[in-house]
Amino acid sequence: MFFLTYLRRELRRRMRQAIFIALGLAVGIGLVITVMGASAGVKTAQAKVLRALYGIGTDVTVTTKPKPPSNRPTTGQANAQGSPGGNAGHATVCLNGKCYTSGTIDTLVSGDHGPFSAATAARIARLNHVSAAAGGLLLTDNRIVLPKTSSSQLQPPTSVSVDGTDISHPRLGPLSNARVTKGRTFTSEDASKNAAVVDANYAAAHKLKVGSAVTIAGKKFTVVGIVTQPQASSPPEVYIPLQRAQALAIDPATGQAMTNQINTVYVTAASAADIGAVQKEIQHLLPQATVTSSSDLASEITGSAASAAKLAGALGKWLAVLVLIAAFAVASLLTMAAVARRVPEFGTLKALGWRSRRIVSQVLGESVAIGIIGGAIGVGLGFAGVTIIDKIAPKLFATVPAATSSGLQTQVAGPGGAGGGPVSGGGPGASHATIAVPMSASVTVAAIILAVLLAVAGGLLAGSFGGWRAARLRPAAALARVA
Amino acid sequence: MDITHGTVLPDARPAYRLAGVSKIYRKGGREIPAVRDLDLEIRAGEWLAVQGKTGHGKTTLLQLLGGLDRPTRGRLDFGGTDLAKAAEPDVRKVRAGSFGFIFQTFNLIPTLTAQENVEAALIPLRVHHAQRSGRVQEALDSVGLGDRAQHLPAELSGGQQQRVAIARALVKEPRVLLADEPTGNLDEDTRDEIIALLDRLWRERGLTLILVTHDSAVARRAQRIGTMTSGRLSLRQDTRA
Repeated sequence: MFFLTYLRRELRRRMRQAIFIALGLAVGIGLVITVMGASAGVKTAQAKVLRALYGIGTDVTVTTKPKPPSNRPTTGQANAQGSPGGNAGHATVCLNGKCYTSGTIDTLVSGDHGPFSAATAARIARLNHVSAAAGGLLLTDNRIVLPKTSSSQLQPPTSVSVDGTDISHPRLGPLSNARVTKGRTFTSEDASKNAAVVDANYAAAHKLKVGSAVTIAGKKFTVVGIVTQPQASSPPEVYIPLQRAQALAIDPATGQAMTNQINTVYVTAASAADIGAVQKEIQHLLPQATVTSSSDLASEITGSAASAAKLAGALGKWLAVLVLIAAFAVASLLTMAAVARRVPEFGTLKALGWRSRRIVSQVLGESVAIGIIGGAIGVGLGFAGVTIIDKIAPKLFATVPAATSSGLQTQVAGPGGAGGGPVSGGGPGASHATIAVPMSASVTVAAIILAVLLAVAGGLLAGSFGGWRAARLRPAAALARVA
Repeated sequence: MDITHGTVLPDARPAYRLAGVSKIYRKGGREIPAVRDLDLEIRAGEWLAVQGKTGHGKTTLLQLLGGLDRPTRGRLDFGGTDLAKAAEPDVRKVRAGSFGFIFQTFNLIPTLTAQENVEAALIPLRVHHAQRSGRVQEALDSVGLGDRAQHLPAELSGGQQQRVAIARALVKEPRVLLADEPTGNLDEDTRDEIIALLDRLWRERGLTLILVTHDSAVARRAQRIGTMTSGRLSLRQDTRA
């Protein structure tokens, strides 16, 4: 085909220039792919953090602020008095109107969230854009061991994070994200039993195994399974059936049991596009509730993950855009210069009767061919860039808001958490938790498609300037250049 | 029948009819007339040589006749089409099908072989690929370069390059061959070869040949010689009895 022969010969004639233009485009496109890959890696890391917080299928969580507890020291909170040295007399703990001076006081409380009726989850589930909703109880089991003698030192209370899990909705809530490493997860038969699933880190720290017992609110629960969260998160330490949690938990505001109550609703939207609508619907249904989506939470994430996201999203994007603009500009200028040198040639072709359109398409074809070569090299550079980032990128640290501030579950991994690394801060009641997540950049199909489109666009842009100039040539004027 | 300066030979079909043709360039607010009020008929199959000093309008006249430029005013009729007024696509079609150009600097595409350069003239005519190669080879054979089809212009001598250009002009079997100083860049021997070739092709193919040249030896081979002076053409009678 004459078009291709002419194109190939012309590219070979100005090979140096073609290579220069192609490399310029390649650098721009490679940078775009690398930035997209890094950005995707950061987003994936953020998503892992969010997933660890939410559970896989949760798009929105609904919580409400707790009512302030009564001033009376008898409203479900244990108030300990005494001194660490124990010299001021017997330690006294008052709970629900009773004061204790010895023994173990074990209470399961909902400290961070206010209660909803259990029917709230069903009401939310019936909303237009909601696919599923499940209730849960995020609780803290506080244990105070009072000294047997007045001379003994009062030990600080211990806390265990407990999740009351709706067994009928295994795809929602924190447990949905967990992987069973030993034993099993809950079955419907466990709904009313004292069965517990424990986090692997907690199990290791307390030497628990399947069949062991853990004490929650003074009741023995049999460990039926040990789970691990896929990322370095801080999952609940113990999961128990929601029905049992409702029976044992106490609302600190009222001092009453939380029968038929929940304090968190996990919601799945019908589609990702519906999340905003779901938030509005829930807010309309429950004006006092805090409705949090993953994007709300993402905006609250700080630390190097957020910095990397900003870096990739802002600096990286603009750097790539600038390099691309520069590459396109250089390609356009060089193509125009090439066209200027070829004016007599195009004049001759016009004298032979070639249409302007044909000449323009020849110039465009050459530019697009250079663009495609640049795109191919750019994809290679992009792969190389992403590989380098993969090799050298440090772990990202995400500081996420804890339950107290965001209405989301606080998760803190213990040392050596699965896939994780060091985790600092956090704990039940902490305001923030820092999570380490590995960053894994990757070239996406979308990035490659974008690269091809950019390459063609760059070629077309460069060629259209040159082609436009070639098309405007009057044959006589073009031929006059020869003379 | 006298048409101003020239004489139309009897029993001749006119290929061109020019009436009051002027071409005026404008530069910096000044008008520079390149061709002035030209009335002329050129017979089909005639060989007309145009001489004149540099800057007196020879090449402009050739470009007007070849549809490469348009007159500022006047009528320029070629085969029933007024090239002064016709739409650009129509002029381009006439140019593609009826005119063959030969230039002083050959104007071959440097990246294309001799064969491909000749083939380039058939592209606008949408000649099928299978037919193209046969016609190209025939054209190259007719100028004695059948064995150089795969050579690039840079691998050919000046005379050979001009032969390729002639083959390119002839491959589409034009009615008119317009040659602008075709021997201007050639030595004397090569000049004679090229002129002999043009003479042969003109005779064999019944072409209308309009040739611009400085060289009186070349001009003398034409049937009529016109001289451009300050944009005006004066014609002499047939020089080849």
